[in-house]
Amino acid sequence: MVSVVNTVDTSHEDMIHDAQMDYYGTRLATCSSDRSVKIFDIKNGSQILAADLRGHEGPVWQVAWAHPMFGNVLASCSYDRKVIIWKEEGGTWDRLYEYDGHDSSVNSVSWASHEFGLLLACGSSDGSISVLSCLGDGTWEPHKISNAHTIGCNAVSWAPAVIPGTLMDAPSGPKSTPVKRFVSGGCDNLIKIWREEDGQWAEEKKMEAHSDWVRDVAWAPSIGLPSGTIASCSQDGRVFIWTCDDPAGGSWTPKLLHKFGDVVWHVSWSITGNILAVSGGDNKVSLWKESTDGQWKCVSDVNKGQGISSGPDETRPEQ
Amino acid sequence: MHSKGSMIFSWWIDFDVHRHAKLLCFPIVSGRSPAFIFSYFFFIYLYFSLQMLSNSSVIFPGVLESMSVDLQNFSFLRHLEDMAARVVQTFSGWRTMSCELDGAASAVAVSRDGSQVVVAGRNILKVFAIEEEAFVEKVNLRVGRRTSVNYSCSDVAWHQLDDNLLATAATNGAVVTWNLSRSSRNKQELLFAEHKRTVNKVCFHQAELHTLLSGSQDGSMKCFDLRRKDSVCTFNGQSESVRDVQFSPRDYFAFAASFENGNVQLWDLRRSDRCERMFTAHNGPVFSCDWHPEDRGWLATGGRDKMVKVWDMASARPRELFCVQTIASVARVKWRPERRYHLATCSMMVDHTINVWDVRRPFIPFAAFEEHRDVTTGIAWRLPHDPHLLLSGAKDCTLFQHIFKDAKRPADRANPEALCFGPRGDVAFAAKEGLSANDPARRALPGDRRNPFFFIRKAPEPYDASLTQQHSGSVCSVLNVFQRCDAKEKLNPLENESESFVELAQRYCLAGRPFAELCDHNARIAMELCRHQVAQTWLILKLLYAGGDASPSPALLPNGGIFCGKDGSSGLGGDGMSERGKSEGHGDGGLEEPNEETEGSDVENLTASVGLYAAAAGLYSGNGEEERLELLDQDTTTSDFPEFSLPPEAFALRHEIVDGPAGLEHLQTNGPDGPGSGDEDGTDEGMRSACQGKVGGSTAGLGITAAESVSLISVSQPLFGQTLPPEVFAPAVIAMLEFYAERGDVQSTVSTLIVLGEKASGGVDTLVQEHWYLSYLELLQRFRLWDVATQVIRLSTCAAISALNHDSTSLNLNCSSCRRALGAKGWLCDRCRRCASVCAVCHHAVKGLFVWCQGCSHGGHLKHMHDWLSASPHCPTGCGHLCEYT
Repeated sequence: MVSVVNTVDTSHEDMIHDAQMDYYGTRLATCSSDRSVKIFDIKNGSQILAADLRGHEGPVWQVAWAHPMFGNVLASCSYDRKVIIWKEEGGTWDRLYEYDGHDSSVNSVSWASHEFGLLLACGSSDGSISVLSCLGDGTWEPHKISNAHTIGCNAVSWAPAVIPGTLMDAPSGPKSTPVKRFVSGGCDNLIKIWREEDGQWAEEKKMEAHSDWVRDVAWAPSIGLPSGTIASCSQDGRVFIWTCDDPAGGSWTPKLLHKFGDVVWHVSWSITGNILAVSGGDNKVSLWKESTDGQWKCVSDVNKGQGISSGPDETRPEQ
Repeated sequence: MHSKGSMIFSWWIDFDVHRHAKLLCFPIVSGRSPAFIFSYFFFIYLYFSLQMLSNSSVIFPGVLESMSVDLQNFSFLRHLEDMAARVVQTFSGWRTMSCELDGAASAVAVSRDGSQVVVAGRNILKVFAIEEEAFVEKVNLRVGRRTSVNYSCSDVAWHQLDDNLLATAATNGAVVTWNLSRSSRNKQELLFAEHKRTVNKVCFHQAELHTLLSGSQDGSMKCFDLRRKDSVCTFNGQSESVRDVQFSPRDYFAFAASFENGNVQLWDLRRSDRCERMFTAHNGPVFSCDWHPEDRGWLATGGRDKMVKVWDMASARPRELFCVQTIASVARVKWRPERRYHLATCSMMVDHTINVWDVRRPFIPFAAFEEHRDVTTGIAWRLPHDPHLLLSGAKDCTLFQHIFKDAKRPADRANPEALCFGPRGDVAFAAKEGLSANDPARRALPGDRRNPFFFIRKAPEPYDASLTQQHSGSVCSVLNVFQRCDAKEKLNPLENESESFVELAQRYCLAGRPFAELCDHNARIAMELCRHQVAQTWLILKLLYAGGDASPSPALLPNGGIFCGKDGSSGLGGDGMSERGKSEGHGDGGLEEPNEETEGSDVENLTASVGLYAAAAGLYSGNGEEERLELLDQDTTTSDFPEFSLPPEAFALRHEIVDGPAGLEHLQTNGPDGPGSGDEDGTDEGMRSACQGKVGGSTAGLGITAAESVSLISVSQPLFGQTLPPEVFAPAVIAMLEFYAERGDVQSTVSTLIVLGEKASGGVDTLVQEHWYLSYLELLQRFRLWDVATQVIRLSTCAAISALNHDSTSLNLNCSSCRRALGAKGWLCDRCRRCASVCAVCHHAVKGLFVWCQGCSHGGHLKHMHDWLSASPHCPTGCGHLCEYT
């Protein structure tokens, strides 16, 4: 029988735009149009509201957890053009930093790998991307890439702190510091890879395959993977997997995962980077895994009568 | 639905199309904008033309869809009107356009027919004609060389009954009326200089030609009769400055006024002594208010507190119906014509956009016009019945006509779904409610292996039936978290990945026992968790590296037997799910060519080694390639060692075995007595290619099918025995490590790497190893397996990894008597020449665990302190401190 562990009220008053589990999978942060960010403790399958962060003055689009070595740090971005970085100290959440350098809605935030310290990328509808870095003394230094995507940037995602191709080529030279890279997707239907060189951010690669707005990009964690992998999804219903076997990061080859019938809003990698979850406008989530012959196969479709989003009414009683 | 629509239309077609359409439409379109009427007929005409042309309904499926909705339902008309407006806007040439102004605008007003607009500001007062392509300046009302401060406008109003009558409010307190029909250049008609301070607002009565109302900073409102030279009456609000006054469109005598102190007052024109009603609407100044054009009694107010509130003024006490929160203080509020729940706002600072809100969805604008580069000061809908055209003036000295078609739609752009892949393999997914919850096809089935649990939004407090009826505005989401399966599903490797990861991490034994035992142990654990492939890997590793060990553990024996019992290659699949195939080489079959001397004393061991080696070689070469591994054998034959040719039936085979052809037929001997490097090279090469093939072709299922894949292995004597150089296997093992790493199973990679220790680590680049270690440590930390992580760090052969444990491990001590920092010695204080770590109880120097009180810094042996403090709360030194031992 369906054993419903618990029924919890998010009490969000409008649409939920993002939900993120923290590093350990013990907390879930949600954000909504109702301007709030809520944090739930997940314990034994039940969720308890731990915090309700109010501070944004518009719909909150995305949240991102920083690595726990920095404490409980959460970044949120909103339609109100602000990025707020929250920190929990002694059980209460406070604003650690507020960034208002964008001229339009901030659509996406993403923390870099912890090797780089507290480093946050923010993509905005004003077409620019900001990279905020926390300096040692607790101040934050914004670095803005203007005109990253014309019309607007919808998603950013950091590369793991490993140079793609390292594992394949095993360079024997002196140990190089990992390059800071991230990928962004925007309303110009493009996916761009950015790379830091001498403290400046430069466009490293422009990738074109989608025919409509790119809605989400996700750089796969490189747990033992030999190459860089990026998943991208778009308004045009297509999901691409981009792989790079070139140690310099120069050549990326797209592979069509699937063409969905509706807008695909999100792609998300499992922590080992071998399973991809895709959610589309038809309210389906599907899990995809690469078989050893390089084909991506749908391993689980949580919509086919297998328990997605059944109504609360029939799940409540049995306990 | 569809058939109904078709029916309606076929019924229409029976009649005279145009006449009937007119008849049907007339009651609906009366009282609507010309654009609507035009577009409506245009659309119907277009539809029937196409219908007749094509005789098919395919062309306008959207139209049919909307037609099929009950005609009485208003939304059908809205839908059609939207489409029509789009068509009209596309074809009529209406478009977003702008013109430069001489100065910053502070207000705009539109003539009744929407053909002209007046822009007022401190340095500007101009009338523009709105043409299809552009604004054309018609009249500049600021004439004369010395422009009076009377013309420095803060507000402007255009009479809705008289196209020539304008009124402006001046910053010096003057209220001026203008008559555009005057022939002279100076169009000024009347000037009322009655207010003492800036007039913030002027407002004409909708139905009364001569009535004008003003609201001023001085706190009073004045009603003027344009037939007289001075005000008719003065209303004193007694609540600071008046920011806005608005005649009610429904109540002839009523008007609303908003104040700087947050109050809103409702007045009756006939009573100037006190207001009818007063309430506090906002926290801070209320800059603007607007009556709903249709709903009697709805008043929208906007304030500095960044909120727009909609009040029901009809009830006994004003009731807040909706509250919209914007991102900046609200300067102007205007209801959108023909859209019951929509209103437009502009802001005083920060935000330059004009937002159109659906008040039922108060967090995200329905539409936004972002053309202005500075603060928008005046907004006006061009026509009282056209929701698509908005005029605006701003501080950036531009006048804009906005078309709804070109508006940004933040609500549409908003991401309606949230998705997150949790570290434990659970997926959190939030989607719009209504889409997901009510679909019967998406209900959970009983016996479902996933456990969805739900976040449900509390049912909204219903305002009243009429408000909640039309639901389309408010949206909320359902958030589900899908957990991975329970224990029954262990067979599916995908489903229990995270659980088995934790289990394996905790139970793997990585050091502290002989190599073979470690392998056995780990193999057994992997087997218990149904990780057959990993289990086999452990066993093979044992065979490879502990091959000389003559006493295989009982647990291993059956598996070992497989190798020996089969001649030819046998496929040993895992669980059929993801196991890569394994080719088990020939044990006895391979030992065929006797060409070297045998040391009889060690025969058994040697043969064991040969068999194992052959098995291993067969394993890694059994992929259909032509490589032949050379086996230089001693003169032992199969028959000499029956114990290694156990019949297959002797033990239960868990898996299907693909029999290869008899090994004998395929045995070849190349270079029968070449024990040198050539053989090793051959072996390496064979293994390498085999491994590549294996990695490449390791699809699910059983790998080895090729009968001809049996390789002959010859092993020369010097390679034998306990001294078998590990380099021989290194390429294969490294390939194995890489294979697991590539599949994301870095756990297996690192665990085997640790257990193998020096045996394998030499062949792998340190950077790669480091990455594997770091990846595994990262995963372990995610699962909070600190102990395992520490163990891995400690056991790692990688210098960079081991160093992780040495970070911030130093502890600085102060001397307990002089309280100065202890030097390098750590136990002897240089200053007071005393041993710092003397037990306060037994007065001996403490070696080992030293426990001390952080309050008085006295301490001693753990046991002594424990005993002492359990008996007495005071410090044993007698310092008087109440130590706390926890």
